[in-house]
Amino acid sequence: MEKLSRRNLLKLSGAGALLGSLGTALQEASAQGLETYEVQLPENTIYSSCLQCNTGCPIKVKLYEGVASKIDGNPLSPWTFHPHLPMNTDVTTLAKVDGALCPKGQAGIQTAYDPYRIRRVLKRAGPRGSGKWEEIPFHQAVKEIVEGGRLFAHLGDERVYPCLKELWALKDPEVMARMAQAVRAIWAEKDRQKKKVLVEKFKEDFKDHLHALIDPDHPDLGPKNNQVVFAWGRLKAGRSDFIRWFFSQSFGTVNLHGHTTVCQGSMYFIGKAMSEQPTFDASGKLSWSGGAKFYWQADLSKARFVVFVGANVFEGNYGPPLRVGWITERASKGELEYAIVDPRAQKAVKGASRWIAPKPGHDAAIAMGVIRLLMEWGKIDSKFLSAANKAAAKAIGESSWTNATWLVKLKDGKPERLLRASDLGLAKPKAKVGDKEVELDAPVVLHLGQPVAFNPNDEVQAVFGDLWVNTTLGGIPVKSALQLIKEEAFRHRVRTWAAFAGVEEEDIRFLAEKMAQYGKKAVVDVHRGASQHTNGFYNCFAWFTVNALLGNLDHQGGSVQPSTYDITGGRAGGPFPLSKLHPKPLTPFGISLIRHETKYEDTTLFEGFPAKRPWYPHASDVYQEILPSAAQGYPYPIKILFHYMGSPAYALPGGQEQIRAMLDPDKIPLIVAFDIVVGDTYLYADYIIPDLSYLERWEFQGSHPSIIWKVQPVRQPAIPPIPEEVEVFGQKMPICLESFLLALAEHLGLPGAGPRGFANGMPFTHPDHFYLKLAANLAFGEKADGSDALPEADERELAVFRQARRHLPPSVFEEQRWREAVGDESLFRRTVYLLNRGGRFQEFAKAYAQGDLVANRYARQVNLFLEKQALSLNPMTGKPYWPLPAYFLPYRDVLGNPLRDPGYGLTLLTHRSILQTKSRTVSNYWLLAIKPENEILVSALDAERLGLKEGQWVKVVSATNPKGEWDLGPFGRKPMVGKVKVVQGMRPGCVSFALGWGHWAYGASDLVINGQRLKGDPRRGQGLHANAAMRLDPYLKDMALTDVVGGSVVFYETRVNLLPV
Amino acid sequence: MSTEPPTGKATKEARRHFLAKMASAVFASLVAPGLAQGAPQPQPSAAPEEDVLLRLQKDLERALKNPNRRWGMVIDLRKCVGCHACTVSCMAENRLPPGVVYRPVSEEEVGTFPHVTYRFVPQPCMQCDDPPCVPACPYDATWKRKDGIVEIDYEKCVGCEKCIPPCPYNARHKDEGDYWTEGTPGMGRMPYEELPVYEWGKRVSREDEAGPIDKVRKCHFCLHRIERGLLPQCVVTCIGRATYFGDLEDPSSLVSELVRQPNATRLKEEAGTKPRVYYLV
Repeated sequence: MEKLSRRNLLKLSGAGALLGSLGTALQEASAQGLETYEVQLPENTIYSSCLQCNTGCPIKVKLYEGVASKIDGNPLSPWTFHPHLPMNTDVTTLAKVDGALCPKGQAGIQTAYDPYRIRRVLKRAGPRGSGKWEEIPFHQAVKEIVEGGRLFAHLGDERVYPCLKELWALKDPEVMARMAQAVRAIWAEKDRQKKKVLVEKFKEDFKDHLHALIDPDHPDLGPKNNQVVFAWGRLKAGRSDFIRWFFSQSFGTVNLHGHTTVCQGSMYFIGKAMSEQPTFDASGKLSWSGGAKFYWQADLSKARFVVFVGANVFEGNYGPPLRVGWITERASKGELEYAIVDPRAQKAVKGASRWIAPKPGHDAAIAMGVIRLLMEWGKIDSKFLSAANKAAAKAIGESSWTNATWLVKLKDGKPERLLRASDLGLAKPKAKVGDKEVELDAPVVLHLGQPVAFNPNDEVQAVFGDLWVNTTLGGIPVKSALQLIKEEAFRHRVRTWAAFAGVEEEDIRFLAEKMAQYGKKAVVDVHRGASQHTNGFYNCFAWFTVNALLGNLDHQGGSVQPSTYDITGGRAGGPFPLSKLHPKPLTPFGISLIRHETKYEDTTLFEGFPAKRPWYPHASDVYQEILPSAAQGYPYPIKILFHYMGSPAYALPGGQEQIRAMLDPDKIPLIVAFDIVVGDTYLYADYIIPDLSYLERWEFQGSHPSIIWKVQPVRQPAIPPIPEEVEVFGQKMPICLESFLLALAEHLGLPGAGPRGFANGMPFTHPDHFYLKLAANLAFGEKADGSDALPEADERELAVFRQARRHLPPSVFEEQRWREAVGDESLFRRTVYLLNRGGRFQEFAKAYAQGDLVANRYARQVNLFLEKQALSLNPMTGKPYWPLPAYFLPYRDVLGNPLRDPGYGLTLLTHRSILQTKSRTVSNYWLLAIKPENEILVSALDAERLGLKEGQWVKVVSATNPKGEWDLGPFGRKPMVGKVKVVQGMRPGCVSFALGWGHWAYGASDLVINGQRLKGDPRRGQGLHANAAMRLDPYLKDMALTDVVGGSVVFYETRVNLLPV
Repeated sequence: MSTEPPTGKATKEARRHFLAKMASAVFASLVAPGLAQGAPQPQPSAAPEEDVLLRLQKDLERALKNPNRRWGMVIDLRKCVGCHACTVSCMAENRLPPGVVYRPVSEEEVGTFPHVTYRFVPQPCMQCDDPPCVPACPYDATWKRKDGIVEIDYEKCVGCEKCIPPCPYNARHKDEGDYWTEGTPGMGRMPYEELPVYEWGKRVSREDEAGPIDKVRKCHFCLHRIERGLLPQCVVTCIGRATYFGDLEDPSSLVSELVRQPNATRLKEEAGTKPRVYYLV
C-alpha cells in the first residue's frame, strides 16, 4: 500500500508539472493573436460548491466581468476528478483543469439568474395562497415579526398576530437548564402517580416562571419559546450553525427540524440504531447512546461487486459526477460488476450484470434469501462476526465489530432484550466509568460453550463468541443474535423469499453467488427506493445486515462512511470553537412539535395507545409531521413558523394536505419563509424574505458516505447578490437569511449579536464575522498545535484572491472586514489558501490504509440486535419495536393495519431524472430544453392490458384522491394529468413519474405583486406532479403513509389507476 | 387485476442469450452499447494513476506543437450514461439560444421486459473529411480547415440554411435570435444572455454583425478552448468519461489508440462523409 501511495503521489505531481507547461500554450495562443479567454484565468475564478442537488459537487465559477459565465467541476475534489489533484496544486494550473459536472451543475447559472427571483421582502396582500403580494421594506418586516399585532388589518383581517417578543418567554439559561433537568426526572419516573407528584413539584419549584411555559400542567412541553418553529428543506453546515446560533442558543426553541424523512429517513435512522454504542453508567448499568444519523455506501473505487438496492446511481444517489466515473471506468475494464434492484429499469441497468425488478416494498425478502444462502454456504465472515468487542476486532485486523454473538434473552420464545451478567450471576468485568472503577452489568456471549460477561469497549481483553447459540442458561432461554437472524432467514426457502419479492429464485442465487465470490469486496448500496416505505427501516436493516455478514465494513471496496474536516473548531480546540463563542446560550428542552427522540409512554401527554399522532423515539427531522402537527396543535399549538429553502407541499407525498395545513392563520398564525423565488409552498406564507442563491452565499457542503476521502467543500459568494442591500447593525449587507436573523436579533435584543456579539469580545454585526471564523477553523485543521493547518497564501495567491473578488460589492467582500473576522494575519492567509481552492480535500492516496482498510473509518460497534428499540414501545401499538432484521409487509397505516384499495390496480412510483432536482431546478431553461416535460411511465404489458397508448393523456387517481387533482386552496385546482410513456423497463403493475415537473408556482403561474400582474412562464408548469395521489394515512387523514419506526414518508406504495382524459 | 409479471424459469437464461446476442451485434451497427462487458478479471489493476482528462490534456498540449495536427473525437458508447451534461455544458459555453443544440444525446430503450437496456448516443458535428454541408453553401461561408474542423464564417454566412439539409447528422441549426428568458420578466436580458461568444477565434457579442444571430451554427470542438490548451467542454464534463479528444495524426495520442481498436466505428459510415468522430461500441 505504501508503495502504491508513493507511486500515485509521483504520478500526481508529474501531472502537476506537465500541466504547468500549459501556461506555455496559453502564451503561444496569445502570441498568435488569439483574444484572451478571460473566463479561464485564476483571477476570474471562484471555487465554491454546487447546490443544484445535495451532491454538492465542488465547482469553479468562471466569471466574465462579474457575471457567472460558466461552471465546471473543481479538480481538487473527489467529486469531479478521479483521482483528484493534490491540494498543493498552484492556482494557475488549477484554473486550467476542469472537472466533470452533471447537467444541473452546468445549468446552475440559470438558478442564480432566474428572472423570477425576488429582491425585496414580500408580504401577502390577500389570503394565504391567493398569489397576491406587496413588497415591503425589510425593517418593516422585521418589526412586524418581532412585535406582532394586527398585521393584516388592511385586508380586513382583525386577528392579532403573535410576535417573537412575547414568545421569547424564558430567557435565563440557568432556569432553562434546571427546568430541563426536572423534566428529565419526570420522564424517568415510570409510576404515573409519582409522575404527577413530580409535575406538582415542578410547578412549585418554578412558580415564578410558569407564565413562560406552554402549559404548566405539562411542563415537558417546554417554554413558549418552543412555539416558534424553524424548519428547513436543503440546509448544510455553516448556515445550519447560523440558524442554531439564533433560534436555538439565543432564542431557545427546541423546534428546529429538517427534512430527512422525505429523503431517506428510515435509512438514516437504521444507521443510527445500528451505530448506537453500549455505555455504562456509574452503577454499571448498560444503556445505548451516541448513535449517528448516517448510513453506509459502497466504496466504488475498489468494490468488485455492488448491489444497488433502490439506489438510482446514474441519476441520483449522491451522485452522478461522484460515482458514475468509477462505475463506467472500472466496469469497462472488468474490475467491477454490479446488479440493480429496482422495479424500474433505471439508466444504470445499462452496464449492469442483472436488473432485478422486485415488487415495491418487498426488498427485505430478497435480503433474507441472500442471508439464507450465505449462511447455508458458510460464506458469511465468521471470523469478523465472532469478534464481540473492540479488542477482538483489533486482534483480527478489523476496525469494527458487531453484537452478532451477544446472547439475547427470550420471553415466550421471542427476543426480549440482551442477556446481562446479572441474569446469570456471572463475574462482572470491571472498567472505569469517569474516574471510578465500576463492575459492569455486561452483555454475555458463549465462548466455547461457556457464558462470559465482557466489556464491549475493552481494548485489551479480546472476547470472541460462539456464532450459533440456542440454549438455556440458568433457566433462561437464550439465543445469539446471529442465531435469531438465521432463524428468520431460514423461515422460508429461497424460492419462497423470491416469490414474496416477486423475483426469480435464480436472481437471489445470483446475488448470493457473487457476494460469496467477492466476500469483503462485495457490497450492498441501499438508498431511498428501499427506505421510503412503511417498512423502510427494516428493508434497510436487512440489507445493511448483509454487509455486516460479509464483513465489509471499513474495507476498501466495502461499506464506508463519510468523513469531514471540522468547521466548528471542536476537534482542535481553536481558533474559534463555536461551542464556546456564544455569550449566553440557552439549552432548549421539551417535547418537539414532531415528538422526536422522546418516548410517548414517558411523557405527561401519555393517554394510552394508540397516541393521537405517532411519536418518533428513534427518528428526527420528520418532515411530513411538521405542518399537520402544527395545524392540529398536537402536542401543542405553535405561533410562528419559519421555513427555509424547502417545499413540503411540492416535495412530500400527499402535498395537498401540507397546503391545507397552511391555509388557516388560526391554526398556524404566522408563516415566514426564506427563498429565492415564490415557490410552490411559500406561495402560502405570510412573508417571504428574499434569499441568496448558492452562487451568492456561504455554506459548508460536507460529504457523502461513498467518499472515502476526508473532505469539506466551501460554498462562498461567487457573484454579486441579487437581493437588495440593507443596513443591519450599521453594516451593509444583502437581504437574505443571515441579514434577517441579525436584524431580528438587533430589534429583539437577542444575545449573541452586536458589536461584542461573540463571547471572546469580537463583533458579530455581519454574516462574514461568523462564516470567516468557520472557514478559519477549517483552514487551521484539527490539531491544537496547528500542525494540521493549510499553508499560508503567498503574495501572488493573495493577489489572485483579491482580483477574483473585485466584482463583489463591499457588502459581501471587504478584505478588511474579512481579515478582522479572522483576526490573525497568518490564519487569514491560510484561510485565503483554503478559499482559493474551494475547500479541503484529503490527498487521494491517503484514504487507503493498510490491511485493506480505508483510512477514515467507522471503527465502532455495529448492532445487529437493536436493544434500544426492543426496550421502547411503538406509540401506536404499545408493543416493543422489533429488534432484528425482518421482512414486514408494506402498505400499512400507522397502526400497522394492512391497506387494501380495491379497484386500484397499479402501484405508483416516482423516480429521479438527472435533469431535475425536485422542487428547485425548473427555472433552468437549458434543462427544460432537453426534457420539457415528464411522463407517466407504464409497462408495455400494462399499457396493452389497459388499452393505454403512447402519448395519451391520463389522470392519476387513488383511494384518497379519487378526483385526481391538487387542491391548491385559493390558488385553484390542478389536475394530475400527464402523458403516458409506454416502456419495457418497468415491472408490470407499477407506474412511475419523474419528480421535478408540474409546478404551480416557482414562476409557473401569474402572481400579483404591488397590484401588478407578474406573468408566469408556462414552460415551468409543464408535465405531471402526482404526489397528491399518494395514499393518506387513514388514521391521521392529514398526512401521507409513514414508517412509524424510521420516520420515512412513503413514496412507493400507493395503489392508483390511470384514467384516460 | 393481476399485477404479476409474466416471468418464467427461462427468463434469466433468456437475458443471458439476449446479452450475448446484443454483444455480437454491436459491431454491425450501433446497438446496445454497454452490455456484456466481460467477466471481471481476477485482479483489478492498481488505483487509477490519473484521470483520463489529464492524459487528454497532455495529448492536447503535444498536439498544439504539431502544425499538421488533425483533431478527432472518440465517444465510448459503453460508458455514456445519457446524462446530457455535455449537451448543457456546451449550451452554456457557447451561449446557445433556444433551438440550437451542438451536441444532443439521443436516448433509446432497447429490448423487451425484463431484458432491457438503453442506448445513448451523443452526436456532435462529425467534422467530416468530406462534408456535404461545405459545397452546399452558396457563399463560401463554410469550409474544411487544415486541422479537420469544418468552420463557419459568421461574417459571410447569410443564414440561407442551404447547408442544413445535406448534413446526414442534423448537426447544423440556425440561430434565430431567440433568448431563453424572453416572455419572462428577464426579457431575454438576464446577465448570462448578454455574455460574449468566443466561437471561431473571436470574441463577439451575440448581436454583433460578426456574431451568430441569423447565422447557421454548429459544434466546433470548442476551437477557442483547444487552441488555448483546454479540452472541449463536452469532454471535460463527461461524468462517465466516455468522450475523448485529441490529434489523430499523433500515433501516441489516446484518441489514436482508441480508433485503432476493432470496436471503433463511425455513425452512418454509409453516407460516405468520413466523419472525424468515432464511436466505441
